[in-house]
Parts: sequence; structure tokens; C-alpha cells
Amino acid sequence: MAIAKAERLMNLALCLLGTRRPLTKRELRTSIEAYMEAGSDESFNRMFERDKDDLRELGLVIDTVENLDGDIGYRAKHDNNRLPPIALDAEEATALGLAARVWQQARLAGAASGALQKLHAAGGMPQQDDGSGGVEPPIPHSTLEPHIPAREAAFEPLMLACRDRRPVVFDYRKSNAVRAERRHVEPWTLECWRGHWYLAGYDREREAERVFRLSRITGAVRSRAGAFTVPVPDQVTVREAVERWAGESASRTALIRLRAGSGYPLRARATHVRELPDGWAELEIPYGHGLDAWLVEFGPDVIVLEPAELRAEVVDRLRAVAKG
Amino acid sequence: MASNAIDQTRRMLSLVTYLRDRPGARIDDVARAFGISADELISDLDVLPMCGTSFRGGDLLEIDTDGERIWWRNADALGSDTAQPLRLASDEATALLVAARAVATLPGLRESDRDALQRATAKLEAAAGENAGASSRLSVTFEAEGGVFADVDRAIAERRRLWLRYYSPARDELTEREVDPIRLFAVGHTYLEAWCRLSEARRTFRLDRVAEIKLLDEPADPPPVELRDLSEGLVQPSAEDPEVVVEVGPGGRWVAEYYPYDSAEELPDGGLRVTLRTPDPASLRRLALRLGRDGRIVEPRELADSAREAARLALAAYGE
Repeated sequence: MAIAKAERLMNLALCLLGTRRPLTKRELRTSIEAYMEAGSDESFNRMFERDKDDLRELGLVIDTVENLDGDIGYRAKHDNNRLPPIALDAEEATALGLAARVWQQARLAGAASGALQKLHAAGGMPQQDDGSGGVEPPIPHSTLEPHIPAREAAFEPLMLACRDRRPVVFDYRKSNAVRAERRHVEPWTLECWRGHWYLAGYDREREAERVFRLSRITGAVRSRAGAFTVPVPDQVTVREAVERWAGESASRTALIRLRAGSGYPLRARATHVRELPDGWAELEIPYGHGLDAWLVEFGPDVIVLEPAELRAEVVDRLRAVAKG
Repeated sequence: MASNAIDQTRRMLSLVTYLRDRPGARIDDVARAFGISADELISDLDVLPMCGTSFRGGDLLEIDTDGERIWWRNADALGSDTAQPLRLASDEATALLVAARAVATLPGLRESDRDALQRATAKLEAAAGENAGASSRLSVTFEAEGGVFADVDRAIAERRRLWLRYYSPARDELTEREVDPIRLFAVGHTYLEAWCRLSEARRTFRLDRVAEIKLLDEPADPPPVELRDLSEGLVQPSAEDPEVVVEVGPGGRWVAEYYPYDSAEELPDGGLRVTLRTPDPASLRRLALRLGRDGRIVEPRELADSAREAARLALAAYGE
């Protein structure tokens, strides 16, 4: 039976951590059972390279040193791999435990519990039960269950590309476009707002900063060789760009009539409300991108008074629906 | 969560450190500290005796268990340096820091929780060192209405009933109801899941649609309900719900991003034919109106008619 990968990785990690001098690939191959069974040199080499990458992903710093014979030796030095002292009190540990459960994305969920396990192993977390049978009173804390969804297939490759500052290429369909277009992007940051993920980065063809919604990426995200060509700004403003599109940053106002009993969210946003004797109210509301589409949703319960341009857009939309 | 080889390796490295300092540790305690089941722990304990710093040297870890406690016969086989606590990887630091920062900025969170999170974040940043750097490339904002949030949080903690004036966008109306809170959760927006005494059913309320809230003195008494798995998405239409077919042009493709659907078929003009289910098709009249020239309801016919009728009525007010 093939030896399980976790066992192989564990043995490699312990060998690299336990050694006082760098070990060559040959030495590692004769020390670790799974490598002895690997068969050809080629399949061993492939396996070894992948395993080293996996351990590095787990945070292990592996040094490579060339010895006098020109062979490469590997070792994970203790000083480079030790967790600095950290001690959390019971409140901090509880709060962090709550936060660690928010990820619904497999890679980050695994990383979050792995981090807590490291803290436990380091003795950095208070003991919840010392085995004496005495139970500490529970610490009152918020009843909230936060969840961070990340169902978009593009999330993980983009997260890694942002982390490693690697250029990427993907096909992207703008919300109103018939076809997807290929985009070459230097990815800066990912931001989740209202449950949707957005990427901010530098678009190489457009030679400007752009924000992409992950759900509109079609197909795979592929990495490109080479470095970023444009410096990453200190502050990246994904949210402002998205809010502008969502009509949250309106600079003008509109005047509408609203039937009594309807359109609560319009009332809640109104900067000025005047109740009219005929069962309607006159509202002043912020006028930003997308207001026309929103107002049409209220059908005959909203009448746009000003500006004329908004009134025309709403009438135009209503005509399209009336024609069916 | 299914454990893969990477997660298991990570966990076993921590286990080695943990067990070295705690001879005779109890299975239950270790499993709890590591956030895993006793079975998962035992499967790790099956692998560890196959591991060591050198297979040839015969220094495999002699770790075994009697089913209750864990014993390590040759803990010296691993130098104390080899079993040292390992530093946090970049992804590990990111996973905790991004989550902690997101929760810490939630409006309405108890101040004691916020303080604890901020203290923990600072300690983590210091311990993670340069590996904390990449965490700034990921950020999450939860939306919450601070005042409503605090009242719901308190009602759940004190098991008290709530009175709500709640806006239903489907009907464009405000309704008053008493609810027994079950839980408070955030997925982008923040929601209250509660037993609604008006509809005698479980309902989910988005906090930014709560127009008014009062904490009542009556105790909450929700019937026992099974908690939903939120990872499947918030809206989970049932197979019995009526079907709605919407055809959209390229400008209406967003419908497939906002509504969970059964199928979305590409149309030759770059549009989509989306089939979805909803318990209340009338609530989609808003969607039909919003789509305008970017799409139309195909089925059910009554829904398409009611949208057309609403548009005609509205146009009449503009003198058309």
C-alpha cells in the first residue's frame, strides 16, 4: 500500500527540523521510507519538490546550502522556525476562537484552525479544563456567528497571487457584456463587501487600476511569470469604487412622490420628507448610479418629479416593461 | 471539514509539540484543544508512530494510547528544538488576522469582545512577524445596524422575545411581529434567524431592514429547530416551490449572480434563460420591473401580466 502523503510530509519535516547539518536529497531519500519506495529518480524528484513546496506553505523555512562537493543540502533551522512567545488571556482566546470559525473556504478554514493549534501547542492559549473536574464559568461574549463565504472558484488562485505578488490572466465578463474578454492583471487586494468578493489591481492593457467582481470571472485564473511592472499603492480603495457603482456615493438629489405605506427604504434614505394631504409624500433622496432601476421597482407607488433626466429614464424603463 | 494531507501534517506537527510537554494527556482534552473529534485525533496517533527524524536510525516516535490517555515512550527521540512550537505560516496569520479584523469592526459588537479581539490581533501580528504582511491584501467588511444588532445580541443572550417592525422588499410593506430569536449571523449582511410568531415558522430577517425593534420582557420560546448549514447559501429554495422562468439580455445577466437558480441557459444574443424557484412568485414583480428592456418574465404568465399592468399604471401617472 502506498504510504499516505501526510506521513511522508511529516517525516520530511521532522528530518529537516531534527538535523544539525544540511541533508542532501540522497540522504533524505535513504532516510524516509516513502521516498525509498518512490521508484524512479524522476518520480522521487517530482515528489520531493512538491513536498518541499507543501511544507513551505505550512510556514516551514527550509534553507538550501551547497556543500563542498557541489551537492545541495536542505535543513529547517530552529531559529528561523520558532514561534515567538505569545500568551493570550481567556477573553482573547475566546474571541479569536470565534473569529477562526468564520471561513467557509477550505484553505483558509484549514489555515485558521492550524494557527490555533500552533498557539495551543505553544502553550499560548489558556487551559479550558485542567482535568480537575472544575469547570470555569463561561465568559459572556457576543452571540454572533460571522461567516465569510468564498464560493467563487477564482478566490483561491487570486488570494495566492495577491499574496505572492504574481501577475495573472483571466477571462472577465462585465455585467452587461455579451462576451468575456481576456484581462492581464497585477492583483493587489481582495475585498469582500456585502458577501461578494472583489479584486483590485492594475490592468495592463488599460494601463489603469481596475476593480473586478470575482463572480464575473469565467474560466480559470492563470499565473504569469515575471514581476509587477507598477508599484502597488499603499491604499487600495476597492470599496469606494464598488460603492460608486452601487449608487452609495450620490452627489445629486432627486425629488419624488411616494404613496403612503410603501417604499420604506426610500423614506429611510430621504433627506427631506413632506407629507401631502392626498395620501402621498414628497421626498428628496440622494441620486446616484442605479437610482432609476431601483425606483421602477416600486411601480405605480413612485412618481419622479425631478430631475427631468431621471424622470425620462424611469418612463423609458416603464415603457419597456409595459410593452412586455 | 474533511481533513486533507496538508491540514493533517500541520496538525501533527503541533501535536508533537503539544504531547511532548504533556505526558499522559487525555484524548478528550487534546481533541478539544485542537478542535477535532476524538476519531480524527486517533487517526493522527496511528500515523505518528510511522514518523521520526530518520527511518533508518530507528528513532520513530513511540506514541501510543490506551484509548483514554496518550503516552510517548521516547519523547527524547526528538530534541526539544525539533519539537519547538512552529511559527505561523503566511496563510495561517492571514486567516486569523483578516477574520479578527472583520469581526472587530462590526457595529454593535460588545465592547469587551471588540477590545479582546484588538488585543489578540496585536499579539498575533507581533508573533507572526513578516508573515503578517500578506494579511493586508485580504479584507472583509460585515454590514450591521449597530443598535439593532446590540438588541438582538442581548435578546439571544437573555433568551427574550423581540418585537420587530420589519420591511419586506418582496411586498414593499412594513409588518409588525413578535419573534423568538434563534441566532444572529453575518454573511456579508447581518441576519437574525428567529421563530416568527406571526407566521408560525422560522424566518430570516436582515438587520438593515428592521425599521424598529423592542426587547420584550417575555421569555423567548422557539420550538427546537435544526440549524441550517449556511455554507450552502442563504436562500435555499425547496423543490416544491413554483418555478419562474426569466429571459434576460446581456444587461440582465446579473440576475444569475443575485438569485440562486436551477438552470441558466446561454442565449444566442449573449443573454440567459434562467429557471429559478421561489415560494412567492409575486415577489418577483419587482425584478420584472427592474429589468426593463434587459429582460422579461416568461413564466408564470400571471407574474408577467402583473408587471406589465404595474408599468401601465405607473405610466398613467406620467400622463402616458
